[in-house]
Amino acid sequence: MSDVPAPAPPPEVRLKDLATASGPVELVARIVAVQRREVTRRSDGSRRPLLSGILSDGSASVRFTWWDPPGEGIERGTVVRAVGAEVGSFRGRPEVTFSWRTRVGPAAAVELPTVAPEELPLRSVAELKPPAEGFRIEVRVARVAERTVSVGEERRIVHEGLLADASGLVAFTSWSDFGLKPGEALRILGGYVRGFRGRPQLVLDERATVTRIDGTAIPDPAGRLRGPPRPIAAIEDEGGGAAVAVEGVVVGLLPPSGVVYRCPTCRRTLSGGLCRVHGTVEGTPDLRARIVLDDGTGAATVAADRATTEQLWGVTLPEALRRLKELPDPSVLAEQLLESIVGRRLRVRGPASRDEFGLTIDPESVEPGEIDLAASATELAVRLGGPA
Amino acid sequence: MALRELAWRVTARELESSLEEEKGGGDRPVTYVLSPFGARMNRVLLAGEITPAEPVGREDPPMFWRSRLTDPTGAIAVTAGGFQPRAMAQLRAIDVPRPSLVVGKVHLYHGRDGIAHLSVRAESVRSVGENEERGVLADIVRQTLDRLDLLERIEHDPAATDDQLRGDGVPSPWLRASRAALRRYPTVDRTAFRRELAAAVRRVAGDSGPRASPDPRPTTVRATARPAAPPAPTPPSPAQRADESLFLDLVDQAAEASVDGYADLKDVLQQIAERGVAAERAEATLNRLEEDGVLEEPIVGKLRRS
Repeated sequence: MSDVPAPAPPPEVRLKDLATASGPVELVARIVAVQRREVTRRSDGSRRPLLSGILSDGSASVRFTWWDPPGEGIERGTVVRAVGAEVGSFRGRPEVTFSWRTRVGPAAAVELPTVAPEELPLRSVAELKPPAEGFRIEVRVARVAERTVSVGEERRIVHEGLLADASGLVAFTSWSDFGLKPGEALRILGGYVRGFRGRPQLVLDERATVTRIDGTAIPDPAGRLRGPPRPIAAIEDEGGGAAVAVEGVVVGLLPPSGVVYRCPTCRRTLSGGLCRVHGTVEGTPDLRARIVLDDGTGAATVAADRATTEQLWGVTLPEALRRLKELPDPSVLAEQLLESIVGRRLRVRGPASRDEFGLTIDPESVEPGEIDLAASATELAVRLGGPA
Repeated sequence: MALRELAWRVTARELESSLEEEKGGGDRPVTYVLSPFGARMNRVLLAGEITPAEPVGREDPPMFWRSRLTDPTGAIAVTAGGFQPRAMAQLRAIDVPRPSLVVGKVHLYHGRDGIAHLSVRAESVRSVGENEERGVLADIVRQTLDRLDLLERIEHDPAATDDQLRGDGVPSPWLRASRAALRRYPTVDRTAFRRELAAAVRRVAGDSGPRASPDPRPTTVRATARPAAPPAPTPPSPAQRADESLFLDLVDQAAEASVDGYADLKDVLQQIAERGVAAERAEATLNRLEEDGVLEEPIVGKLRRS
């Protein structure tokens, strides 16, 4: 009689290794997003409940589907152990299914697989593009601030800001309070990248771990925030940036510029007294300017808000409204605004995004551009070959 | 993609030297004028002294105005019509020559004598102080030198890829323009052009400008730029006369039938093609009629008797 080996128990895998696994697997993971649904059986019209969402174990996140789940006790944050989970793939990404063959039970957070930081590839900030995940980064906090947002009924505090390394800057938003301070050097694992307003944004939630590190190799990000202006064409090629600086000459103004009316609920610009979402509303007046700034390598739209527009134009919103009452043709107001800024040299800083209309910058600061004529003349004469 | 065209920083001299055109792609193709020095221009930003505008055409009140912008390297015609009311008003507001910035679209017109006349249709004109003018001129010279350096580099290192050059900070539009310039103007003398920039650098340094320059610029520099006075035309051949009268008949018919009194250029060209006149011949006929002041095109694509 030869020994017949007992069938091996399904191997316990980490989610980052799922793609290579075959057959049912055992896994321990935290539910980080979950939604309860019901599907109707085609055969008899009966309803069958299911949960779907995202599982994460610190090594990766995958979508999951759980047929006939328990009626309660499963929510965001629950850690589960699943034995005999099936692995499928959807659009090239692995996902797991818990069926009647799968045994799912609660587990403790300590049972989650350990992921050594070295196992996750080290990425530079410039390499972060959605939908990246399962990486580690070593960065410094360039800027951080708190903001309160409403998620449904709930009010939550998010921490937002910029992280930097030698390769660049990336915006982040954090749903957990990691107590970040500007200038701190961090190692971050378990973040993921999404696209937000056309730019990559690093999202940190309960999946992420943040460790303070020495980080002597990571440069001080303050320099990056105060860096010299760069060619608009280069920023356009990069698809924008979390904090860019450009200098150019105002060559035009795009509509709507000047006095606009906004929906009091959502602040969208009204068109013909109508809000796209809220219909007929009593608009509140506001001042804005969509300035075309051109540096000879490209053109960018600078979306100036009321304060910036007032500062550039030297006309306040009340004054603009007074003029509007007296002008026979309201479009003259936008002409006056353009007249006062066209040809001016401006240095603009802020986040920039690119879409099918080109590059748009939401200015955090707009200053007059300075040029040293004597130094320029000397430099140019030298380049021409000797003093002119 | 309907991206906004950038405003190339160029001198009048570079515009005077530009003879080649290129059509962009897409639904609404844009025309670019290629300069020998690496600019592929639809829109430009110029700095110089603008002279008071003169009306063009016989309309009353005049709907088209022309003035000249002179910088230390040359001069270029700046125009504005009823389709640029703001620019037209700004141009007309200039009563004495004064330092100005002009943003506008370049327009290349090949006369029947084969000479290219380049003008800039202003989108906006702004009178500025001398320092502002010198500041923009400094940008113009700097970027012109950058583009000349780029041309040298591509010529000396033809194997350099676009990605490499972009990696070194070369703006993508400049790359495309430089490659086109080297292709279309293989024999141009860039050394002479470089020398001509010296006058602009002196102006940046504070020289009072071309009008007070001790050595007047050689008239040859202006000769190709002046849109006026083409050489005396040779009398048209009988075949050309026949083309002209057919063309005029078609224009009259089309104008009669149209609501606005203008003949649509495309319609006329199509009809004349149906009568067996080749496109170049039709184009040449139109040019002759416009040169002789029989027809005018006050709006692009719309013709009428002058």
